[in-house]
Amino acid sequence: MKQNIVDVVKVRQDFPFLGKEGVYFDNACQSLRPQFVIDAMNEYYNEYPACGGRSMHHLATKVTHKCDEARDAVANFLHAKRKEEIVFTRNTTEGINLVAHSLGLKEGDIVITSDKEHNSNLIPWQVLKEKLGIEHKIIFSKEDNTFDLETYQQALNNNVKLVSLGLTSNLDGVTIPAKEIIQLAHKAGALVLLDGAQAVPHHEIDVQDLDVDFLAFSGHKMLGPSGIGVLYGKYALLEKLEPFMVGGDTVSSSTYLTHEFLPPPEKFEAGLQDYAGIIGLGAAVKYLSEIGFDFIEQQEQLLNKYITDALHTIKGVTVIGPEDPTQRGGIASFYIPQKDHHQIALMLDETSKIMVRSGQHCVHSWFHAHNIPGSVRASVYFYNTLEEAEIFVRELKKVVSIL
Amino acid sequence: MFCIIAFIVLSIIAIFNVSYRALAKEAYECVFRRITFRPCNTGFKEKMQAKLVGKLLTKSVVAARFLNKHFELLAWLLFLTTVASIFWTGKGLFNFYMYGSCNGLNKSGFCALDPKGENNKVSQTGGSCGTGEGDESKVTLTNVSLDLFPSIKTDSKDEVVLIGCYSCDYTRKAYPLIKQLISENNVNYTFAHYPVKEETLYLLPIGYCAYKQNPDKFWQLNDRLFASEKNDIAKKEFVDTLLKDIGYDVEAINTCSTSSETNSAVVERRIQLEKTNIYGTPLVFINGKGLVGPKPYRVYERILKGWRFW
Repeated sequence: MKQNIVDVVKVRQDFPFLGKEGVYFDNACQSLRPQFVIDAMNEYYNEYPACGGRSMHHLATKVTHKCDEARDAVANFLHAKRKEEIVFTRNTTEGINLVAHSLGLKEGDIVITSDKEHNSNLIPWQVLKEKLGIEHKIIFSKEDNTFDLETYQQALNNNVKLVSLGLTSNLDGVTIPAKEIIQLAHKAGALVLLDGAQAVPHHEIDVQDLDVDFLAFSGHKMLGPSGIGVLYGKYALLEKLEPFMVGGDTVSSSTYLTHEFLPPPEKFEAGLQDYAGIIGLGAAVKYLSEIGFDFIEQQEQLLNKYITDALHTIKGVTVIGPEDPTQRGGIASFYIPQKDHHQIALMLDETSKIMVRSGQHCVHSWFHAHNIPGSVRASVYFYNTLEEAEIFVRELKKVVSIL
Repeated sequence: MFCIIAFIVLSIIAIFNVSYRALAKEAYECVFRRITFRPCNTGFKEKMQAKLVGKLLTKSVVAARFLNKHFELLAWLLFLTTVASIFWTGKGLFNFYMYGSCNGLNKSGFCALDPKGENNKVSQTGGSCGTGEGDESKVTLTNVSLDLFPSIKTDSKDEVVLIGCYSCDYTRKAYPLIKQLISENNVNYTFAHYPVKEETLYLLPIGYCAYKQNPDKFWQLNDRLFASEKNDIAKKEFVDTLLKDIGYDVEAINTCSTSSETNSAVVERRIQLEKTNIYGTPLVFINGKGLVGPKPYRVYERILKGWRFW
């Protein structure tokens, strides 16, 4: 099997962790960081470790400028209309919560999600159901775990205020047909929020082309630092949203009785920001743009096909999601009935330092509904190699043979 | 079961290696849940099983499969072995404290706390040193006429008997401890000379005659004989000098010691001592309990005082 050997070898040199030990196949949880991102963050701490958007001195001005650059970079990365549509958050969860609590949902409003949502896109709606009396509708996937567009279409009506879906599932790597989903939602008068945590790092996203209303994602899955995320929102919608968290830097002025909010995105970015994180994220999107999503997708598909083919040769293995690996991005999630998923993962780590995730991957609801205790999830990224996939398969076969 | 054994093992390792403390804590939490009748749902066992099996898998697939398949059974076996070894260790420590030997009173098997067996060594009746060939359990004072031997009588019911040999290392080791014991406690004390080496056989009639001539001065003689060099006490001239120093009538003692009456008395006393089933010296009886070999002072004191010792 061929791979872009030259490209991968070259790319791997950018990542200080690679080559140190083991096989890192837990990219759906968190990606590794290239030196470029680490340097950008270190530069902040070493060269201009000051507040942004507040003080007037030269260091603070530099921080403000660097953060603006990062916001610009992220806006360009998403093909947003303007940089003010980019709100920095801590992570995807915060972005989703921001929308959930700021949208002004009321009793009787319907929010649609799918049956494979990460807890980040499930619990907020369950809480609003208890607190406000909103209705939470779940669209169950088809038998192969792909999105059921027909059922979705039937569920849409005038009371649906928001469709909130994971763009790419962290459970099985399946990406939903977002463009059609958004068109149908808009036709029904509903807004669409996409959880892009697993999609933005792996696929080119054009928010204007998608016409998506909100998109939340995290930095730590796309080569960026942990603790930084983004909520994209159409500017007109962001203007209407009530801020979820308020305080320092969200207002232009205040009296003892009143306050005046700043326009988006500032009104959503309360308190001192994670400047190093923002600058690191800016560096990460620049790096990803240079790598290019053609290469990323090609490498992920190559590896996932190899892994999936091998998994099918192991007795008892069930791969979650469609059989076709090209529909599952870089994720191969599988389980073997009667064999403990945690034990498999721990033994892979022990035998060859192969790092995979095991458990229910924060999608407890799906596992409970399907009566499956959990799965082992191998998730690759563009810097992983076929050699690593071979090691994974070889060791997995060895481990399974003794269980 | 694995949690318990892991807790024991990891706790011991964690004393010497800090990196194991977190694991020991995890094991403790698991054990704590168990003893409070809650399921151990921390995943500790599974995690450790996977780690151990995984490590073994890098060496041998067959061994890893065996360990994985019989993990619980092996954990049980290890647990039972550990419990047994803790029990035996505890028993050994108890015995060592109580009797000076890990194996119990007068038991001469290997003891890690007394690896050379010093507390059980005796000078054997044949004249050599060692742990002896006799049956430790058979030493007794039953039917032994202690009245024939030098003694210090008090109003106490407690009784200490030392049967020893002036020229034997182990009696010499025990003697000062017995002296301390009788000086610190109100006891009846009897001393019997049982020479296991030929060179001090001649001291039997001399001791008999010295005690007969002056019982009080006999104890001075006893102290001087144990305090002197072994080579010196093998020489009659040296002992004569000792007797003279103490104030004995040396000539009278020498005359006495060669008499047929003394010879009979010595033989009679020897017969009495043989009834104790002695096979080496020192042999100490405290309130009838026989102790073979020189024991630590605490052992003598504890046996004398019983639970009053605490």
